[in-house]
Amino acid sequence: MSTAAAPAYLKKVYTTEVNKGKAVFAIFPGLCKGCGLCKEKCPEGALSWSEKLGVYGTPTVTPDPELCKACGICERVCPDCAIAIIRVDKEK
Amino acid sequence: MVEILPKMPKSWNPESKPHKFCPGCGHGLVLKALGQAIDELGIQDRVVFGCDIGCSLLSWDFFNVDTVQTHHGRTTPVMVGIKRANPNLVVVAYMGDGGGYAIGSQHLVNAATRNEKITCILVNNTNYAMTGGQMAPTTMPGQKTETTPYGRDVEETGYPMLGPEMVAAITREGAYAARGSVAKFAQLKKYIKKALENQMAGRGFSFVEALSTCPTNWRTNAAQTWQFIEETMTKYFPLGEFKVPEGKED
Ligand SMILES: Cc1ncc(C[n+]2csc(CCOP(=O)(O)OP(=O)(O)O)c2C)c(N)n1
Ligand code: SF4
Ligand code: SF4
Ligand code: SF4
Ligand SMILES: [Mg+2]
Repeated sequence: MSTAAAPAYLKKVYTTEVNKGKAVFAIFPGLCKGCGLCKEKCPEGALSWSEKLGVYGTPTVTPDPELCKACGICERVCPDCAIAIIRVDKEK
Repeated sequence: MVEILPKMPKSWNPESKPHKFCPGCGHGLVLKALGQAIDELGIQDRVVFGCDIGCSLLSWDFFNVDTVQTHHGRTTPVMVGIKRANPNLVVVAYMGDGGGYAIGSQHLVNAATRNEKITCILVNNTNYAMTGGQMAPTTMPGQKTETTPYGRDVEETGYPMLGPEMVAAITREGAYAARGSVAKFAQLKKYIKKALENQMAGRGFSFVEALSTCPTNWRTNAAQTWQFIEETMTKYFPLGEFKVPEGKED
């Protein structure tokens, strides 16, 4: 990272273990604008609106850990890079 | 616990995020595809990015690369000048459909005719977005905008402009012309990457139109936004490559 102060959106991230613990779904509320594009594209219907609010005070999204297959489509379609799918085995 | 970071392209400027585009705006996705292409080609230190008037100008601090902002469609000749002064640079002219196809269309036509060795990325969101959603050259027949409240009447205002098809027709061998969509991210990124590589190889004018979302002016929710770009827009604006240099076909 650069020498400047860390951007505010790095201060908060909500994580959910998904796909039988093989991946982590991470959402940065400081980046999410609540557009819903990810929610519409999820092939498993795993995303729903969250009580946690995003950068514009609109709901963020949260995955159903039983339904999410960690396919990464939501991460790809987010125009704001607010979602990161992290495969756990890769991190070890 | 490992620190979790957003998966932004390395070439993005992390300090200007969240970016200035509206919720659900396709500009963010086009620039994500461009950012990933720049990263994969390892050219961040050689890229000069030029944005136009219109919502594209909201990207003036988007990348960690040298950036210049110009007036409607003039981004193209400004990038031509920079490229001619220093051919080692990889220049990207980034603009909207109103700027590139109407207000500053002469610049696109002439740069394409001369086969200038630059990359041009034009965002087609079917309207003049920044000024409140007026009719653009890309507004589709029957489409309602601020200035076509009863739908675009082709008898009065003509048919939508087909940019990559025109570029393909007026350029010489070596040029590249394609139309992608933010709804097909991997394909769009491939086209942008090919357009950058074509410039780097010095072959010719490299043009990508990106179909893009504008939920604010379309007044669409997320489901309607996807439907509009995937179904309605592709009826008028087919996706694909319209000109590929010899030997560079897939
Ligand atoms: C010569 C001139 N005419 C009109 C304007 C006002 N104006 C600013 S942005 C814009 C529309 C740009 O639309 P487009 O290029 O499609 O970009 P978008 O905002 O849709 O991404 C217009 C008409 C201007 N700045 N300069
Ligand atoms: S990773 Fe795939 S399955 Fe999981 S929420 Fe995202 S789109 Fe849905
Ligand atoms: S995570 Fe991204 S795509 Fe999903 S609602 Fe938030 S900003 Fe939109
Ligand atoms: S007005 Fe439309 S094109 Fe402009 S930032 Fe908003 S959604 Fe994007
Ligand atoms: Mg436009």
